[in-house]
Amino acid sequence: MAKITKGINIPLNRAEGDLEINVEIEGGIITEAWSAGTLFRGFEGMMRGRGALDGLVMTPRVCGICSITHLTAAVEALDAIATVTPPDNARRLRNLALMVETVQSDVRQAILMFMADFANREAYADHPLAADASRRYQPLAGRAALEVIRESKRLVQVMAIIGGQWPHTSFMVPGGVTSVPEISKLLQCRIIVERFCSWYERSILGCSIDRWLAIQSVSDLDAWLDESPSHQESEVGFFIRFSRQAGMHTLGKGPNRYLSYGNLPLPLDTEVQGTDGRMTAAGFAASTTVIPFEGSKITEDVSHAWYEQGAIPLHPFSGRTKPYASGQSGRLYSWVKAPRYGDEVVETGPLAEMIVAGNPLFCDMIEKDGPSVMARQLARMVRPTGLLPSMAVWLNELVERRGDSFYHSVRSMPDGQGAGMIQAARGALGHWVKIQDEKITHYQIITPTAWNGSPRDEQGRRGAWEDALIGTPIKDSKNPVEAGHVVRSFDPCLVCAVHCLKKGETRGAVNDGLTR
Amino acid sequence: MKGSIICIGNRFLEEDAAGLQVLDRLQAMRPLPAGIELVEGGLAGLNLLPFLEQGGRVVFVDAVEGFTQTGEIILLTQEEISQIPSQYFFGHDAGLPYLLAVLPKVCDGQLPEEIVLVGLEGRCNKETIEKAAKMSVTMAMHGLRDLG
Repeated sequence: MAKITKGINIPLNRAEGDLEINVEIEGGIITEAWSAGTLFRGFEGMMRGRGALDGLVMTPRVCGICSITHLTAAVEALDAIATVTPPDNARRLRNLALMVETVQSDVRQAILMFMADFANREAYADHPLAADASRRYQPLAGRAALEVIRESKRLVQVMAIIGGQWPHTSFMVPGGVTSVPEISKLLQCRIIVERFCSWYERSILGCSIDRWLAIQSVSDLDAWLDESPSHQESEVGFFIRFSRQAGMHTLGKGPNRYLSYGNLPLPLDTEVQGTDGRMTAAGFAASTTVIPFEGSKITEDVSHAWYEQGAIPLHPFSGRTKPYASGQSGRLYSWVKAPRYGDEVVETGPLAEMIVAGNPLFCDMIEKDGPSVMARQLARMVRPTGLLPSMAVWLNELVERRGDSFYHSVRSMPDGQGAGMIQAARGALGHWVKIQDEKITHYQIITPTAWNGSPRDEQGRRGAWEDALIGTPIKDSKNPVEAGHVVRSFDPCLVCAVHCLKKGETRGAVNDGLTR
Repeated sequence: MKGSIICIGNRFLEEDAAGLQVLDRLQAMRPLPAGIELVEGGLAGLNLLPFLEQGGRVVFVDAVEGFTQTGEIILLTQEEISQIPSQYFFGHDAGLPYLLAVLPKVCDGQLPEEIVLVGLEGRCNKETIEKAAKMSVTMAMHGLRDLG
């Protein structure tokens, strides 16, 4: 009889513990998985009764990684309530800030979080590329690890310039933006983006963005890899070689259902191309069959979450967030609700964006091998190829048209409801807001991690990464790196955490004054 | 010498909010002495690196756990912070030891001449917040070394 190990906890938080994954392993294979968010957020309750614009100040402080992203969702909800369309220049600046946050997150997640596991010597002692992986990704020492911190740090200056204040800017307001950068600052941003782009092409891709975008299929990808040593030695090339060898193209299938809200509303007059007024397409896909997105199909199921139980799953305009953590022992296991789209379990993130947009390479990967850790992670690493060129275009357009408007006046917030639905680095993010008498009466946030890391729903269906874990082979239950790859390929973020310094062996002197 | 006070933490979590309570107090005390820059560091993590490339003196203010008694304040030097055993992995929760360990390897400008942490242990009352605010100004102006 196969050995059954119950209650294995997968160590995902490298320092703290807001996300807990428990799995059962039978005969070396994961047979059950539960994902639990262990921290109650409660932002929704905090927002009620506050001033109509307070979401612009409060929600960017929800997360240290996605500050601009929350600001963008909050302001789009308010634009909708005020029925205002921001001027083109405001669109460009808002989009640029969000794109910078996404690009820096993508490269940091890839190198510092995902590929840091490639330098896990115990797990990969026998991998032929282990020594090379260690030279690249060893935390605080690997060449790529340090390079990505340096380069992403430089790129982030663009957010500081555009936002006028750093960190924690609230430069987006209903109707547009509050800061109008000087021409010299816009030119500085352009240089920063150009330099970042050169580094990204040289180090991450090993080729030009145009060459990368010519890849239309898995066989094209193989040909690209064989074409040149610079492709093989780039981070993308190395990722492909390492992960194929480790079987990551067979790991972490998941629901094979994809959701993207679409992203980056296009200025009315711009060279950047898009779909239905947005640069990134919105849609739902069952495998690679895409159907149009309808916001009304989103519901939140709380049947397995520690909230007051309602009769049926509700749309976020109607849903409540009322913590209730007693009774029903065992059935409830997470502070994350279970969002569903059209009653389906979906995954969201860069791979979903690629599939919904009909990207030929990723559609081919899914059709041939199904979704996988490798496809998901590759999609994240190469997403900047779709963002960086448009960033340059919008900066040029801003320099040419700086004299045009950045703000359409919104004197007061009318009563009403609106949704800000965007793509965060980790996937679909929505803020659903109701305003009455200039006060917030309702605020619901569904984060990408709620989609990807949801618990079971009323029908007992697992969330996306719970599902993706099933069938994962675990070589060593004490070092379950394979399960880590599966969950990390979704780039989990369970609220940005308590991060206070904890006591170690060395301590400073206790002080009650200034004497030491 | 220029001095920066960088208050870090999470306003929405009581046990991690002390740094930002000090920020609020410092904002109410404005104007601060000349040459002192006040930064809401929040959860910005690696995105705080640009503030550590401008030379001068940097004072972090943050909640700490397990160093002293609840409600007390502790001062730690850069060396002491760096010696705290920590997993040097980047996560969404990468903390101060990670930031300081990576800093010299990626710095584009001038490293700070001195880094000090004003640590607040556990839940703090108004008096402790007040004391920490004054202490961080003194630290930003004079540092710990000068005080011997």
